[in-house]
Amino acid sequence: MSTVLFYILGFTALAATLMCITRRNPVHAVIYLVNAFFALALLFYLLGAPLVAAWEVIIYAGAIMVLFLFIIMMLELAPMHTPAGPGWKRWGPVAALSLILLCCTILMVAVDTGSSQSVPFFYVSPRVFGTVLFKKYPLAVQVVSFQLLFAAVGAYYVGRSERLADREDKS
Amino acid sequence: MTGDDLAALLPILVLALGSVGLLLIGAWFPRRRTLILTGVGIAVAAAAAAAFYTPPVEEISGLYGSGLYARFFTVLWSLVAALVLLLSVRYAVELGFAGGEYTALVLFGAAGMSLLSASTSLVGFFLGLEAFTLVFYILIAFHKGDPLGAEAGLKYLVLGAVATGFMAFGIALIYTASGTFHLPEAMEGITAGARFRPIGLLGWGMLLVVIGFKVSLVPFHLWTPDVYQGAPAPVAGLLSTGSKGAVFAALVTLLAGLPADRSDLIPILWVLSAISMVVGTLSALRQDNVKRMLAYSSVVHMGYVMIALLSGGASGGRAIVFYLVAYAAANLGAFGVIASLTGAGGEPQTYDDFQGIGWRNPFRCAALAIFLLSLAGIPPTAGFIGKFGIFYAAMESGYGVLAILGILASLISLYYYLRVVVLMFMTFECEVDHARGGISEHSALTICLGAVVILGILPGPLLDLIAALFS
Repeated sequence: MSTVLFYILGFTALAATLMCITRRNPVHAVIYLVNAFFALALLFYLLGAPLVAAWEVIIYAGAIMVLFLFIIMMLELAPMHTPAGPGWKRWGPVAALSLILLCCTILMVAVDTGSSQSVPFFYVSPRVFGTVLFKKYPLAVQVVSFQLLFAAVGAYYVGRSERLADREDKS
Repeated sequence: MTGDDLAALLPILVLALGSVGLLLIGAWFPRRRTLILTGVGIAVAAAAAAAFYTPPVEEISGLYGSGLYARFFTVLWSLVAALVLLLSVRYAVELGFAGGEYTALVLFGAAGMSLLSASTSLVGFFLGLEAFTLVFYILIAFHKGDPLGAEAGLKYLVLGAVATGFMAFGIALIYTASGTFHLPEAMEGITAGARFRPIGLLGWGMLLVVIGFKVSLVPFHLWTPDVYQGAPAPVAGLLSTGSKGAVFAALVTLLAGLPADRSDLIPILWVLSAISMVVGTLSALRQDNVKRMLAYSSVVHMGYVMIALLSGGASGGRAIVFYLVAYAAANLGAFGVIASLTGAGGEPQTYDDFQGIGWRNPFRCAALAIFLLSLAGIPPTAGFIGKFGIFYAAMESGYGVLAILGILASLISLYYYLRVVVLMFMTFECEVDHARGGISEHSALTICLGAVVILGILPGPLLDLIAALFS
């Protein structure tokens, strides 16, 4: 059962990613990418990593893709004129992929009886994940936080206006 | 993480916390010269901490080593960062860089390089590599008024992001094959007869793509000339010495875990080394821009280092480390001379800009000539001893063909190195006027020059030290 689901989800993710990188309209591409992220999240859940699945939805599909959409709309990258008509070709594939994902989710919830047998062999609970991350790899967390700090510094530097930069003396 | 781990991290902490401190100071007291010179002090302090403080543990939380090998490279990259900052003092004022951000990024980049060189785990490898790659995304495009710089930054960012994807995938596959991130056990997954050997080999191949990209081996070198041309000269110096050297330093640790029978990896490394030397040499011959020429020459040099990597063993390792030091001194000096000649009109890059300038700026042009001769491997410079070590190791372990190819490449390289020297000194009309350079640049160039000449005449002490790293 879970093997079948695994392959269905895997192919859905692949198809969504392929559609994403071949779209000309960036907004459509983002929608396909969100589909791919949902498929990946379900895959992670299936493999016994519920925390990663939740992050995939909350951080990638939620926060980052919303940011992408914001930027695309701010820069007005999407084509202004859309052809008339129902446009099955445009939203049909998205609807199909989303439907597959919805069916898979319902199946997973329905099959999950809560018994110990339905828990995958490698089940990583959030507690275990946190313990390993902060007990075994605290240094890695620190290094990553430093990287994020300097990424923020870089984004700020690239984005700030020249007038502010001129504040520095010419000494 | 225990107190001992923190104590072992002392040099890295000095670099990382120093860079954050400079960011804060820069917000209130934006004085470029003071900030950058403080950064030099912090980098030297980190080098001293790594050199003179013996850490209480051998390995920090299973991610990074703190033995002699790790400390050696921490000292080296800290000193390289200090020299880069010294070379940037006048350059930053001239081009209007933000002093606090620039210094902080260079210092954190040095921390990342030190971590990468010290990594004893694939997680540590990933984090160290990403730490300084991230810094370079920003530093390459640091000159905001320069469209070439922006283009270079974007190229490095896009290709670097793809490389990061490959690296994460490769590390995941290696982990699948061996069940551990820790080196050298993680490499056991690809020993002959291991259960998941194909997966492990696939992961290792992906890792090789990333390494090829970072050290710009052919065919992953296409970004190199454009990025070197667009990046500010001191940053290009750091990029060509520190980032490549740190990857090779980590690669020595990575390869040490491989089984004695490497029959399926050797052909790949062999081909990478050979085509890097051939393609790099042929492309360098055709350039008329000094920075692009140095970019292709760095491709050739990485090919030489690959020969030593193939040779393996203690003599190969020693040859790599010595070559990295010699290459860092000479290449940093060459980019430093370009930085010191930079005035309000921008960097001198094309060969026309170098026409006859040798008689106007005798010290710096003579220094550039010696750096180029060292890169070509002419005695009595450090480059000669480095190349001698590499070709000796190659002959010793039966890679005669590669050694001959390397010697031929260095012979041809004389043409494109000497062309710059000829342009500078054999023409007497000089129509271009370059900046006179400041005290800081002259002192940094003197240090590089001293290193190149002294290591060429008296390599014994450094060779003994390097031999101790591998004992």
